[in-house]
Amino acid sequence: MNVPLLEMKGITKRFPGVLANDRVSFDLYAGEVHALVGENGAGKTTLMKILYGLYSPDSGEIFINGEGIHIKNPREAIHHGIGMVHQHFMLIPPFTVLENIIIGEESHRAGILKLDEPANKIREIMEDNNLIVELDARIENIPVGLQQRVEILKILYRGAEILVFDEPTAVLTPQEVHELFKTFREMKKRGKGIIFISHKLDEVLEIADRITVIRKGKIIRTLERKEATKPLIAELMVGKPVLLEVKKPEVKVGEVVLEVKDLRIKSPRGYDVVAGVDFNVRSGEVYGIAGVEGNGQSELVEAIAEDVPIKNGDIILMGKSIVRWDVRRRREAGISHIPEDRHRYGLLLPFSIAENLTLGMHYREPFVNRLQVMNRKAIRDFAKGVIEKFDIRTPSEMTPAHALSGGNQQKVIVARELSAEPKLLLASQPTRGVDIGATEFIHNQIMNAKGEGRAVLLVSADLDEIMSLSDRIGVIYKGRIIREFQRSETTKEEIGFYMMGEKEAEKEAGEGASGGGEERADKAADKGGSGDEA
Amino acid sequence: MKLDRIKIDKYRLLEIVSPVLGFLASLVVLVIIVVAVGESPVKAFVAIYKFSLSKSAKLATILSMSIPLFFAGIAVAFAFQAGVFNIGVEGQYFFGGLIGALAGIYFHFPPFIHIPVVIIFSMLGGALWALIPAILKVTKNVHEVISTIMFNSIALALLNYLVNDPLSGLGKGKSLEPQTAKIQSTALFGKINGFFRLLGWNVPDYVYLDYSLIVAIIMGIIVWFVLFRMRYGFEIRAVGTSLDVARYAGMKVKRLQIAAFLISGALGGLIGLQEIFAIRGYYTYNIASGLGFDGIAIALIGRNSPLGVVFASILFAFLKQAGYGLQFYTSVPNSVIYVITGLMILFIVVINEITAGYIKALRKKEAL
Repeated sequence: MNVPLLEMKGITKRFPGVLANDRVSFDLYAGEVHALVGENGAGKTTLMKILYGLYSPDSGEIFINGEGIHIKNPREAIHHGIGMVHQHFMLIPPFTVLENIIIGEESHRAGILKLDEPANKIREIMEDNNLIVELDARIENIPVGLQQRVEILKILYRGAEILVFDEPTAVLTPQEVHELFKTFREMKKRGKGIIFISHKLDEVLEIADRITVIRKGKIIRTLERKEATKPLIAELMVGKPVLLEVKKPEVKVGEVVLEVKDLRIKSPRGYDVVAGVDFNVRSGEVYGIAGVEGNGQSELVEAIAEDVPIKNGDIILMGKSIVRWDVRRRREAGISHIPEDRHRYGLLLPFSIAENLTLGMHYREPFVNRLQVMNRKAIRDFAKGVIEKFDIRTPSEMTPAHALSGGNQQKVIVARELSAEPKLLLASQPTRGVDIGATEFIHNQIMNAKGEGRAVLLVSADLDEIMSLSDRIGVIYKGRIIREFQRSETTKEEIGFYMMGEKEAEKEAGEGASGGGEERADKAADKGGSGDEA
Repeated sequence: MKLDRIKIDKYRLLEIVSPVLGFLASLVVLVIIVVAVGESPVKAFVAIYKFSLSKSAKLATILSMSIPLFFAGIAVAFAFQAGVFNIGVEGQYFFGGLIGALAGIYFHFPPFIHIPVVIIFSMLGGALWALIPAILKVTKNVHEVISTIMFNSIALALLNYLVNDPLSGLGKGKSLEPQTAKIQSTALFGKINGFFRLLGWNVPDYVYLDYSLIVAIIMGIIVWFVLFRMRYGFEIRAVGTSLDVARYAGMKVKRLQIAAFLISGALGGLIGLQEIFAIRGYYTYNIASGLGFDGIAIALIGRNSPLGVVFASILFAFLKQAGYGLQFYTSVPNSVIYVITGLMILFIVVINEITAGYIKALRKKEAL
C-alpha cells in the first residue's frame, strides 16, 4: 500500500506558447478513487494524454509500482495496465458488445474467431464489477449508460489496473451515475486505481477519496475527502470565491408567451421523435425540459426555432401560430435561440467576434445602410459595447471566433441572443462543456432574462442545472412530456426516475420503501454529509 | 490598440508568405526534373526568363494571358465562397461566349451601347447555363459537381452543332473551323496598348491588352465589394462557411446559393471576351478550352479572394509562358509545366493548411 500504483513526477509539457503542465506531480494508490478537477484548459486532459502515451512530456517521470517507465503510445500504456474511458466512446455501433470488447485483442483458430473463451472471461469480469451487459446486443441498440459499461469492460478485459475516466457522468442519468459509482466501489475493492476527471463537484465529493485541483497547468492542492467542501474546491479551481447558488429574481409570472399543442414530428427513420407534446411557457418563467438525450428535446427546440416540417400540432407565440414562419420571421417576432451545438449552429468560426455578435440582426439598420452596404463601424461599436457588457474575454472585437475558449464562445452566443431582447429565449444545453466561471455567468444571464419578464425554455441534460434554474419542469421521454412538476414540489431523484420512463418511475414508486427508497436514503445521507461540512 | 493592429498584420503576412513558399518548393521540383532530363538548370531558368520577364513585351503578354484566367478564377471563387463547387465554369464560358457573340452579330447599336450589351449578354448566357444545375442542387439535392460536369459536355456538343449548322456564318465546307458570322465592328473590343505606352510601358501592338482588361478590373472591384462590404456578400460567405449557422441565423440559404451559382456562371461567361471580341471577331467552338478548369486551380491558389485571384491568374499566365520558353530553348517538354502547376497547387494547399493551423494556435494563445 505504501508504494503508489502510479506516480507522475514533475511532468512538464509545453505547447507553442502555452505551458500546459508545469511540474505536475500526481499519484494514485491501489483501491482509491482520485479525482482530478479543474477548469477547461487547466491541463487535466494534457496530463492524462501523457499518461496514456498520446503526448510525450518535455520533462518528468512516470512510475508504476515504483518502477520508472516510458510510455510512447497507447499500446504501451495498455501494456502497463493503464486504461482510459474517453468522453466520446470509441465503439463500433453495428458490432455486438462482445465484438467491441475483443476488437484488437481477438484470437482465432484457422481464421475463425474464438468467441467462447473471451465471452466467459468477460462474464467473470462483469460479475465481479457490477457491469452487466448483454454480450450479443448491438451497440447501436443499447443506451448510453450501457455503452459506457462496454468501454469499461474493454479496458478491464485488457487487464487495466489504472482506470482513467474523462467526465464519465456527463452523459448519464442520476440512476446511471449511481450504478457507475457502484462499479467504482467494486473496482476499488479489487485494488484497482481510478482517476476520475469531472467538474461536477457533488459527484466528486460523493465518490473520491482524494481530490487534486489543477489550474493553469499547475497542481494547486490535493485535498483529502474529509477536508474537501464544494465551495473550497470551486474556489481552488477558479482562483477566487465562486457563488454556487443562482439567485432567482422575484418576478411575477405573466401571460403565456409560448404554447405548444399536440406537436408531432416524424424523424427521418419513420417514427415520431416528438410524439404529441403539450406545454406552455409564460413570461418571467423558466420552463425546464429534463430528459435523457435523444428523447426528442433537440427536435422540439428545432421546431420552435426553425421552419422544419412537422406532422401535427401547433406552435403559438404570443397568440399567433408560427409553424409556417421562416427563421427570420420567428426571430423578428421575438425568439432567440442558444443552440445545443455551438460549433455547428451558433458561430461562424472564421468570422470576427463583431460579425458573430450581429449575426441574425446583421441585415437591420444600423448594421447595414439602405443600399445594403454593411456599416462596419456600427458593427464594431455595437460589438465593443456587448463585449464589455457581457465581459467576453477577447483581444479585440475583430478576433476570429475560433480563437476564443469554449466558455467565451458560448458567452458570445448568449450575449448575441439576449441583446436581441427576445420575448422567448430557447436555451439548449447552454453550459455544456463550459467552465465554472462561464457557467455561473450564463446562469445569471438566464436569470436576468427571467427577471426582465422574458419566457425561457431551458433544455439540459444536466439535472442540477434544470433544478436550480427552472420554475416548472417537464420530463420528456420518447418524444412525450410524461410528467410536469412545479420545481418546489419535486426532487432530483423523482425527476431522474421519470427520465427513464413512466413505467420505470411507477415501478420505483411501487417498491416504495424497499429498493428505491434505500437508494434515495443513501443519497440523502451523502448529501447531508457534504452539507454539514459546507 | 496599436499592438492589435501589428499582430493582425503579422498573421496577414504569414498568410501571404505561404503561397510563395509553395511556389518555391515547386521550383525545386522543376530543377530536379530538368536535371533528370539531362538539361542544365541554369539553361532552363534562362529560357523561362527570356520568355516571361526579360522584355516589357513578354510581361505584357503575361498580363494579357492572365485576363481570361482571372475571369475563370473569380467565377469559381465566387461560387466557392458560397460553398458551391461550380465545376461547370467551362461550359458557362462556352455558352456565355456564344450568347455574347450573338448579341454582337445580330444587334445594331453604337459602340458605347453595343459593348456593354455584349458584356451583359455574355454574363446572361453564363448565368443561364448555370441555372439548371443551380435549381437541381437546391430543389432536388443533385450535387453540382456531377450536374455541372455533365453540363460542360452538353455545352460543347450543343455549340459544336450550333456553330456547324444553324448559326454557321460560312457556307458548308468553306473552312476547317466552323464559325459564326462576323461580329459587328461596333461590338469589337479595341486595344488600350496606347494608354500603357503613354504611361511609359512599351507594349507592342501584337499583344492584346484590350477592353476586357478594363472589364476585369471593374468586375474584380465589384466582386470584392459585394463579398466583403455588402450584406448579401456577408450572407453568401456565411452560407459557404456553415449552412447550419446561416440557416440558424435566418438567412435564406437556398436563394443565396442559387444567386451565388448564377453570379459565378455570369462571371464565367466573361472568360471568352478577349478571344471572341478582341482577337477573333467571331465565335467558334474552337476557342481556347480548359480555361474553366484552370479557374478551379486559380481560385484555390488565390484562396477565393479577388486579390488572391489576381495574383494567381498572373502566376498561371507566367507558368504558361515559362512552359513555352522551356519547350523552345531546351529539351524539357512543355508538359513539365503541367506537372509543376499541379505540384504547386498541392504544395500551396498543404502549406496553407499548415500555416492556417499555426495562425489558429497563435490566435488562441493570444486570446487565452
